[in-house]
Amino acid sequence: MADSAAEARIDQSLVARVLLGDDRRAFEQLVRRHQGMVRAQLCRLLHGDQAAADDLAQETFLLAWRKLDQFRSEARFSTWLHRIAYASFLQACRTKSWAARHAQDDAMEHLPEPAPAMDLQVDLARAMRHLSTAEQTVLLHCVQLGMSHDEAAYVLAMPLGTVKTHATRGKAKLKTWLSAWKAAASEETVP
Amino acid sequence: MNRNYEQEHDDDIDALLRQSFDGPVADAGFCDRVMQQLPPRRRRSTWPLAAGVLAGAVLCSLSVFTSPLWRAAWQGWLVGQWSTSALVMLSTMAAMSLLALGWTLAEAEDR
Repeated sequence: MADSAAEARIDQSLVARVLLGDDRRAFEQLVRRHQGMVRAQLCRLLHGDQAAADDLAQETFLLAWRKLDQFRSEARFSTWLHRIAYASFLQACRTKSWAARHAQDDAMEHLPEPAPAMDLQVDLARAMRHLSTAEQTVLLHCVQLGMSHDEAAYVLAMPLGTVKTHATRGKAKLKTWLSAWKAAASEETVP
Repeated sequence: MNRNYEQEHDDDIDALLRQSFDGPVADAGFCDRVMQQLPPRRRRSTWPLAAGVLAGAVLCSLSVFTSPLWRAAWQGWLVGQWSTSALVMLSTMAAMSLLALGWTLAEAEDR
């Protein structure tokens, strides 16, 4: 918690240096500090298409550079960046072929429960693909990127209640689909 | 008991999801590519603000100096009397100054 507050203060001072002194090196530091998570977020949203994720991440940072004077400290700088990245992703979906892939994902929501497989991670990846796009997106932001529900609501421009509902529903579905693993693990531990 | 089981299972799902996340992507020249693409920063021109302040000041002076309240206050002030008009004018100016000060402080805090 204290670490994250300290990180936020460093970001704020870097932003101030860019705004007051037109300091490109300060902005470079901001890019270095946040590019990893922004690219990971976009890569996940684009189902592993790293090249497309890098293009969108570059667009995100260029937009952040242009709109930096609009950054108010109502959210952390990293959260603000993730919000721009998600908006760029949605914009790209409207114009490019990823939208079709997402539509397929939605149709897969009601597929039958997957059969137990040898690899739990493979099953998890399959189960994740069977969640609705909104549930996948919320779980990505809330669990994998480590955001609070409030932050995820800000990034995804969704009401807080909707974020919580998607998170609960998504976890419940995963729990059902992966329950065979839980039972198997319990049996293994019993002598 | 059931609630604890549910919570534990939720934590298991969270842990599984975190394990399946590869974490931040390595830079691999990304930052340099972004910095090369960065356009020069546009300076926000200050003339609209200055023109607005000037126009506001001129309009305010015109409306205040032509009002009988101001004349009465000014005459009272010259003869050293704390007339009602003088008090009203001074209070108004003090309130406006405080308002501007509060606004400036709030903006500075946001930055």
